[in-house]
Amino acid sequence: MVRFLVTRLAGMVGVLFLVVLFTYAIFFALSPDPAVQICGKNCTPELIDQIRTNLGLDRPFYEQFLGFLSGLFVGTTYGTGANAIDCAAPCLGYSFQTGQPVLEMFEQRFGVSATLAVGAAVLWLFMGVAGGMLAAIKKGTWFDRAATGAALGGVSIPNYVLALVLQYVLVVKLGWLPFPQAVPFGADPGQWFLNFVMPWLVLAFTYASMYQRLTRANVLDTLDENFVRTARAKGLAPRLVWRRHALRPALTPVVTLFGMDFAGLLGGAIIIETVFGLNGVGKMASDSITKNDQPVIMGVTLVAAFLVIVGNVIVDIVYTTIDPRVRIGARA
Amino acid sequence: MNRRVTRPALRAAAFGIAAALALSACSGGADGGSGSTASTAGGLEGEPAEGGVVQVLQNADYSYLDPAKGWDGGVNNFYRLVYRTLTTPASGSAEDPNEIVPDLATDTGTVSDDGLTWTFTLKDGLKFDNGDPITSAEVKFGVSRAWDPEIGIGSPYAKQVIDAPKDYQGPYVSGDLPTIETPDDTTIVFHLKAPFPDFPAVASQPNFAPFPVGSGAGDEFLNDIVASGPYTLDEYTPGSVINLVRNENWDPATDEVRTAKPDGWHFQLGLDPATIDERLLAGQGADVNAIAGNLQPATLARLQDPKYQDRLVDWPGVCTTYMGLNTTKKPLNDVKVRQAISYAVDKAAVQNGTGGTMLADIASTTIPQSVAGYKEFDLYPSEGNTGDVEKAKELLAEAGYADGFDMTLDMRTQPKLQAQAEAVQQSLARVGIKVTFNPIDTSKFYETIGTPKLQNDAAITGWCPDWASSASTVIPPLFDGRRITDKGNSNLGQIDDPAINSAIDDALAVTDPAAANEAWGNLDEQVLEEAPIVPLLVEKVVLLPGENVTGVYSSPGVATGGLDYTGVGLKDPSKG
Repeated sequence: MVRFLVTRLAGMVGVLFLVVLFTYAIFFALSPDPAVQICGKNCTPELIDQIRTNLGLDRPFYEQFLGFLSGLFVGTTYGTGANAIDCAAPCLGYSFQTGQPVLEMFEQRFGVSATLAVGAAVLWLFMGVAGGMLAAIKKGTWFDRAATGAALGGVSIPNYVLALVLQYVLVVKLGWLPFPQAVPFGADPGQWFLNFVMPWLVLAFTYASMYQRLTRANVLDTLDENFVRTARAKGLAPRLVWRRHALRPALTPVVTLFGMDFAGLLGGAIIIETVFGLNGVGKMASDSITKNDQPVIMGVTLVAAFLVIVGNVIVDIVYTTIDPRVRIGARA
Repeated sequence: MNRRVTRPALRAAAFGIAAALALSACSGGADGGSGSTASTAGGLEGEPAEGGVVQVLQNADYSYLDPAKGWDGGVNNFYRLVYRTLTTPASGSAEDPNEIVPDLATDTGTVSDDGLTWTFTLKDGLKFDNGDPITSAEVKFGVSRAWDPEIGIGSPYAKQVIDAPKDYQGPYVSGDLPTIETPDDTTIVFHLKAPFPDFPAVASQPNFAPFPVGSGAGDEFLNDIVASGPYTLDEYTPGSVINLVRNENWDPATDEVRTAKPDGWHFQLGLDPATIDERLLAGQGADVNAIAGNLQPATLARLQDPKYQDRLVDWPGVCTTYMGLNTTKKPLNDVKVRQAISYAVDKAAVQNGTGGTMLADIASTTIPQSVAGYKEFDLYPSEGNTGDVEKAKELLAEAGYADGFDMTLDMRTQPKLQAQAEAVQQSLARVGIKVTFNPIDTSKFYETIGTPKLQNDAAITGWCPDWASSASTVIPPLFDGRRITDKGNSNLGQIDDPAINSAIDDALAVTDPAAANEAWGNLDEQVLEEAPIVPLLVEKVVLLPGENVTGVYSSPGVATGGLDYTGVGLKDPSKG
């Protein structure tokens, strides 16, 4: 188990390093000069040079890259003299556009993304897994057909379309819900719920459809397995066969998928956050791309990669508890 | 020198009308510079009641809360809520909103006989939000921050115009600036490099806001400011929320520009433009008190419903959309060819591509109608502005290009901009000129066309003046040949004509504002005879304020023609 974790963590650091290197290289090579963008139309060549120096953009690639890496571990300082700005470790950089440390921008926005992700995850797990199991049990009945049809629809409708349709119906026409805003839970739990429920539903709907299809297919597959037939033949009560023998193996792929989906969402739900104007990490990512705010793009990429990798490690660990075969494999 | 226009501070989209065009952000203006009025009656222009909170729905955050750093049509408007400057553009409801009027100062300054020294006297009873008095020392300190290499990236005029030691780097590095004198608490004296009759307009730039001596180094004003205007910052989450509350130390008796009727302002940032329009149309809850920037073109069709007509605002703009013709390239170096193009372009088609008459007016001059100095003329007239093909062919034949030629147009592939480019392409095809597009990524567009080495034959872009009281920020940056730079060049025609250059010097030296504006208007005509650009359009401001909002006026000077925040308030503060 320890060795398993150590190898996973070492691999994680390697992947993160490559993510940083590639993202940095891509934006270094391809992006327009941020100094010119900051400078604006009224700019003079001297002012451009000044901004380049301020931002450290006049240094060669490897120096900027190493500076970024060392900033992650020991922090760094931008500017000089009275105007120096400290960016403590882990310094993810300093936004060209907002003049804020990237980490601080993250902290301000992570709550919204986390609220979205957790709320939607609860919904889609419930709808997807329960719906999938029920459909499998009642295979071929009207429920199965209805659920499978709805899932197909859910997978097919792009969520920004669903978002706009729901917003039009629930907010504009019926006035049941407000135009979503990121009301903090602490400020007003009722408003918090009303503001987030529509984004949760939209986000959960697409995922729930996938999970429902996956769960249904897996449960049906497992029910066809030899060991289930054996269990049945031995006269085990159907409930017990279900619970103890069919469900656990059927759910392992769902856990894998969930780990990645959920971790990815913590890194921002770009479309939903943008459509509903919720200022989470995803909105920040899309804004920074249109503004070519390279440090923020870097930061979001790095943190999103980190979350997905950590999510995977956690999934692996969870595996060892739900699937004994993994445990044995790791020991061997 | 252009104020970067953006509805909400799109520093990113960078410059000028850049943002206005790219994101249909702001632009716009008043009625011919003679008292801007909302084009519809019905309560938009009423006197607001005291109290309530104005809701501002916005896509992007403002560039910087620090007025030495930020400088665009969006943030300049915001600054007037929290900062005061020596002078300022008159409020949108004034008889002449283009005029520069006193703000912290008692008048718009007194100039010495040699034109090199400007003296201002401060009003009594001026205070910061912390209760400390605002004296000439605080004004001087605020202005001197413009020289700081890291902070002073906003309006360039203070540095361009005021004399300063060669190596002066702002108060934090170099200390005191000897060329601004403060003989007593209420007197401040500026020594200029050269006479600049428009100095009152310079003193209205955001970096003339006062700050306590010694404050504001580094990123101090990033999240927390020292206010001198009627409001102060209560809460700021970058990209999400700005909350303004009353500055109890602001004395309305000292301020003729700001009415400051609402108790506060709530800015919701980061909203999707389509969602903003949806909310304005629906007008639910607190959204009856909402204002926002320009409507999206897609929303306009839905405004036919009479219930929106009462609160629909449609103002002329202050930013000119034009096509620059690179006079250094063959055959565009021949004035006849450029004149032929000026005749051939179907401006009505360009207008249609931009969204029609509700979104843009056709331009025949460089100076827009709503900016002082505008002179009405059309050197290349045609029936219905669809272009004069015969005349164009004639000129091309005279120049030896009867069969036309090939040229390359730098352009962006966003729908509106592409439609404009295609309209130009099709109209020039009528006279045998084959236009090839050179598509440039939006984020690189201005960098590319502002670099003469990279520039092709032509490009469509825009220009907004930095103040509306004179055309001194329209003509010189676009046509002064001595201002052509390797990078960040704004003279897209690269025209360097001694006659134009000296006429610019003459116009800049005129001290009487009325005479100066006449000179600018004549100069506009003189330049366009050389046809270094083809004026195409002036894009308009189209707004839909909430039904409880009033005091809605355009400010050509401070908001590039958009809604002047200083007069906005609510009809009934208890609503929403």
